[in-house]
Amino acid sequence: MLNEQNLFLIFLSAFLVNNILLIKFLGLCSFFGISSDIKASVGMGLAVIFVMVMACSVSWVVYHYILAPFHLEFLRTLTFILTIASLVQFEEIFIRKKAPALYKSLGIYLPLITTNCAILGVAFLGIDYKLTFIQNLLYSFGASCGYCLSILLFAGIREKLSTAPIPENLKGIPIAFITASLMSLAFLGFKGLFKL
Amino acid sequence: MKRLIDFKNFTKGIWKENPVLYLMLGLCPLLAISGSVSDSIGMGIAFTFVLVCSNIIISLIRRFVPAHVRIPVFIVIIATFVTITDYSVAAFSPQLHKNLGVFLPLIVVNCIVLGRAEAFASKNNVINSFLDGLGMGIGFTIIIVFMAVIREGIGNGTIMGRPVFPENYKPFLFMILPPGAFLVIGFLIALKNTIKGRRKC
Amino acid sequence: MKRKEIIGGIIVLFLVTSLCGFLLAEVYKATSPKIEKQKRLEEEKLNKEIFPEGEKFEKVKKGDVEYFVVYDKKKRKIGRIYTIKSLGYGGYIYLKVGIDNNFKIKGVKILQHNETPGLGAKITEDKFLNQFKNIGIENLYLKKDNPKGKIDSITGATISSRAVVNGIRKLMEKIKNEKID
Repeated sequence: MLNEQNLFLIFLSAFLVNNILLIKFLGLCSFFGISSDIKASVGMGLAVIFVMVMACSVSWVVYHYILAPFHLEFLRTLTFILTIASLVQFEEIFIRKKAPALYKSLGIYLPLITTNCAILGVAFLGIDYKLTFIQNLLYSFGASCGYCLSILLFAGIREKLSTAPIPENLKGIPIAFITASLMSLAFLGFKGLFKL
Repeated sequence: MKRLIDFKNFTKGIWKENPVLYLMLGLCPLLAISGSVSDSIGMGIAFTFVLVCSNIIISLIRRFVPAHVRIPVFIVIIATFVTITDYSVAAFSPQLHKNLGVFLPLIVVNCIVLGRAEAFASKNNVINSFLDGLGMGIGFTIIIVFMAVIREGIGNGTIMGRPVFPENYKPFLFMILPPGAFLVIGFLIALKNTIKGRRKC
Repeated sequence: MKRKEIIGGIIVLFLVTSLCGFLLAEVYKATSPKIEKQKRLEEEKLNKEIFPEGEKFEKVKKGDVEYFVVYDKKKRKIGRIYTIKSLGYGGYIYLKVGIDNNFKIKGVKILQHNETPGLGAKITEDKFLNQFKNIGIENLYLKKDNPKGKIDSITGATISSRAVVNGIRKLMEKIKNEKID
């Protein structure tokens, strides 16, 4: 869908207009689990950016240089998920050794990300939209930043909500969803941005 | 003492431990697909198929898989069934395949599937695993179709493409769009809380 | 002890993966002919809807443009079908447009879009698309954009409507000099 030459447009679209969390519904499970605490959300958001850009780039290379030339496209799902899982493992070991401080803040979220549908989803979309390597790189970067933005906004709102008077049955998860609904509505307003 | 065939494993997936309402799993496809009743039914069936098949296979080989490779092995098995489902749907119903889009292959990272494999199928016999998968799958399907009926009905005035309101009904577009999805599931969970609360009294 | 476990684990993983890979290859072999056929049928159906009198649709590639040349049952060329994309409100709109020998539009079909449901999404409706039949390039504007225009935009979806109109007009301007023989 996005074959636009303008790379900035790709980033902007992934970041705001077609925000993967609030508009495309990717990455929801960890979203609702993590976002009740701002510090945790920052950690998760940064981890997602780190993993997603790498995972999507590697997956793109694997698809176009290994799967496609041998007509093995049907192994896409299998190879992508294994690639992502192994990449996350390596990244965890690498960060633990080289940047222990970073590991302390990101550490627990890294393995969690393997089952985050956002990573696999964006990797697939990069192929489905027929993006070039650079376009894919920007798309995954924009998408992960969009995820980070949404999760931060959400955490901020939820922290405020925890002290607000809310009816018993709406407390916790339901009010979180209703909040997400309003945020999603706000992000829908970005749709006309293409015409700028 | 674990029984050989315990039907409770089937019924718990539908209400008591409904994967969506209680375990809060599998949200992505739920919200994305519930805009259309026919797509939701398709998604529910595909999902249940993957869940049941992977539960059965994982339960069959559970004694042969060493603990430290079990997650990769589960993922490989689940991914295989997901791909089989993906291509089968593409072959028999290209329209459904187009509508489900990326969410069909995403079943592989669906927390419900991996979660049941890890929590149940790897520790129980085949028949109970089959029942567990079936129950969870049907529980998921019930919720997604229920949501779709609300969203498509109010948001588009139709159910499965057939109009359900009189001619001059103005569809409440919001329901079909992403914010509507969040709103409906929020109120559904609030409803579940209310029902659960009443039972306690 | 630990090493044996690890090797045992890797062997199991390898076995399972190979088995699954083999299984997938079989499923792929079984389903891919059907999937290909579906794609072809879908494309033929759309082509036939645009040019009902067309009997044969031949795919041609000139430079970087791909299009179908349409032949009727007497083997005469009666027109061409192009697939184009145009930037709409929510992203690109992909559509097919048929152009007859008089350089007028024979029909338009929307293939894919990301417009707002209930508003911009109405560009797929016959009510909007039928307006394009028999329109030439000189009238190919929205009524509100140009006095010579003959296309009514959809209420509340001007940008989507305009995207379709302008996209087709750009195509026709581009191929104006390669008239159909």
